Amino acid sequence: MAGRAPVGPRRGWRQDLVGWSFAAPFVILFGIFLALPILAAFALSFTSFGLRDLENPIGTTVVGVQNYTDLLGDPKFWKSLGNTIYFVVVGVPLTLALGLVIANALSRGITRFRTVFRVGYYLPVITSIVAIAVVWRFLLNPDVGLINILLGNLGITGPNWLASSALAMPSIIAMAVWRNLGFAMVVFVAGMQAIPAMLYEAASIDGAGRWQAFRYVTLPMLRPTILFMLVITTIGYLQLFEEPFVMTDGGPLDATLSVTMYMYQQGFEFFHQGYASAIAYVLFVIVAIVAFLQFKFLRSEP
Amino acid sequence: MIRTTHRSPLPALVLVVALVAMACGTNQGSGAPAGASGSPAAAGSQPAVSGGASPAADLSGELTVWAMGAEGTKLGTLADAFMAANPGVKVSVTPVDWGQAVAKLQTAIAGKTTPDVSQMGTDMMGKFGATGAFEPVPADIAPAGYFESAWNTNMVDGVVSGVPWYVETRLLYYRTDIAEKAGITSPPATWDELKAAAKAMKEKGGSKYGIGLGTKNWQEYFPFLWSNGGDVVDASGNPTLNSPQAVEALTFYKSFFDEGLTPKSVPEGTDPATPFVTGDTPMFFSGPWHLAGVKAAGGADFEGKWAIAPMVKKVTATSFLGGSNLVVYKNSKNKDAAWAFVRFLSDPKTQATWFTTSGDLPAVTSGWEDPAVKTDPNLAMFGEQLKDTKAQPVSSTWAELSSAINDTLEKMTTGTMTPQAAADEMQQQATSIGTK
Repeated sequence: MAGRAPVGPRRGWRQDLVGWSFAAPFVILFGIFLALPILAAFALSFTSFGLRDLENPIGTTVVGVQNYTDLLGDPKFWKSLGNTIYFVVVGVPLTLALGLVIANALSRGITRFRTVFRVGYYLPVITSIVAIAVVWRFLLNPDVGLINILLGNLGITGPNWLASSALAMPSIIAMAVWRNLGFAMVVFVAGMQAIPAMLYEAASIDGAGRWQAFRYVTLPMLRPTILFMLVITTIGYLQLFEEPFVMTDGGPLDATLSVTMYMYQQGFEFFHQGYASAIAYVLFVIVAIVAFLQFKFLRSEP
Repeated sequence: MIRTTHRSPLPALVLVVALVAMACGTNQGSGAPAGASGSPAAAGSQPAVSGGASPAADLSGELTVWAMGAEGTKLGTLADAFMAANPGVKVSVTPVDWGQAVAKLQTAIAGKTTPDVSQMGTDMMGKFGATGAFEPVPADIAPAGYFESAWNTNMVDGVVSGVPWYVETRLLYYRTDIAEKAGITSPPATWDELKAAAKAMKEKGGSKYGIGLGTKNWQEYFPFLWSNGGDVVDASGNPTLNSPQAVEALTFYKSFFDEGLTPKSVPEGTDPATPFVTGDTPMFFSGPWHLAGVKAAGGADFEGKWAIAPMVKKVTATSFLGGSNLVVYKNSKNKDAAWAFVRFLSDPKTQATWFTTSGDLPAVTSGWEDPAVKTDPNLAMFGEQLKDTKAQPVSSTWAELSSAINDTLEKMTTGTMTPQAAADEMQQQATSIGTK
């Protein structure tokens, strides 16, 4: 037998130092730019920090949990939470389902121009939201927009999409799904490539058709990937901000006001930073709970 | 800093993009920075400031000046003129995008890195004044030469905290050709005539609507409130948004929407000059920037098809006053030079030069005597209107309260809320948010 590997409880301070010095840049940056502000915001959420405290931040008034209790009785907060949930409940399944369908088509069906399609679906993900907003505003324009012109050709008078409280959120959802499904597609394509080809061969020997191969091979094998995408997309969608920010400014009649937008309004437009911090922490808790539940109920094998 | 952050690619992307979006500004559309304005101007003929252009002999040091939007890119020429007269002073002008202005100023005040002098929108005075960052204005700069309502926007908690720089007010833009077709020979001068003109232009003039009014814009509603003898707050600063005058003004405003005389929804970001040129909305209220805006949108053959007219009268014909003030910060290390620069910008001659450079209307009444401003009949009409203007109250809560008023207006103009209910809701919001 050769000598035993040098295992032991201590590797020596020298090695520790090397390790820490490699980790230091990240730890320091994380501490200064993430951990500290996150903790500061938590402290802020128990104060009435506002405009008059700008010159002397330490002198702000501590109000205990008042921001949180105010939030419970704030109809605008509930409205924004309802809007956000609407967006998540409709938007997440749509994004994942479409992403999955396109990924499957591109992996197992369409072979010609595969790269063109992949790039095409992914492009919106990396395009600036401002550019996207301009294009979508044109598309959704009630008078000269492409969508209403097409509807007009069918004899339907198109609505003013973004100015209708019933249609504004669906329009925002359509834009968000279009914009984000490329990312889901790429992740699903990667997941599908990791599925061994022999499983499909075995399935086809057993007489499985395309649908059955998808249903009984692709879907079960993709389960971890789908769970990952579900959690990531849900977390991202719960923080809905830029789409309504650039398209509707939360309107009409707050129909597209999301929690994050309301937080931005309170914190940076009205400068109620204490209240905005409380909104941020409530959203954080909601995100944490939702992510936890998704992991808990979906991770186990069926 | 307040956003909860997650170590996952999508939210990170979302955050970055959101920041980019914020940086790109939110000021598209309406044109001018929401400004405030003043009340009927006591047009004193005295120069506002004695010896504005002739500086004290021994000024020196460096001055940092922040100016927003178009002003930021053009102020350099005046700074050069100031430096030529004061060789000891070095002025550097930093242009700030309007969309970023509020955030940048907040950061600067919190970090004590304010400039020496900055431009300040009249509707931002209360908000930033509340931080205590402004240096009180020296007593020798007197209100006499300025439009009164513009001067009043500088009164923060009873202290004069800034000096009017330029002003703007809102007039009626109307299509003369469509009016003629509808049998209207002179521009509407009263509320009733405005309504009749809108009806006639829609029914006989061939327009889709009669007038374009904002569904959720306090700046368009307030002139009706004021011209009906109402106001936002009373003399002691308490809200009066559900007075009988306010309810009547709201009723009149809403009637245009209910009778189909004005569109209930306009695509976000539409320039009112566009439907004006197409004839869809043959009238709208706007500021001096639309003189050039309408020309640009209409092109050469649109010449002679439109004109402007004063705000329509009920009890008065009071319009909205906006614009910007100049403030000096407490943290400035060179206050003498800072005030000298402000005095220089307020000088009637500089004000007239500035008008030719930027198109900004003089806040100093004697600046209007300059031939460059005086000879243009359209501008002269703005000059006349400026004497009968009001601005919103100077309040630290104005951003929040005006947003709440806009929300209520939208419920009333596009929905079923009655004018009385809207007035009561505005009053209730003003009471809970505060107006001081």
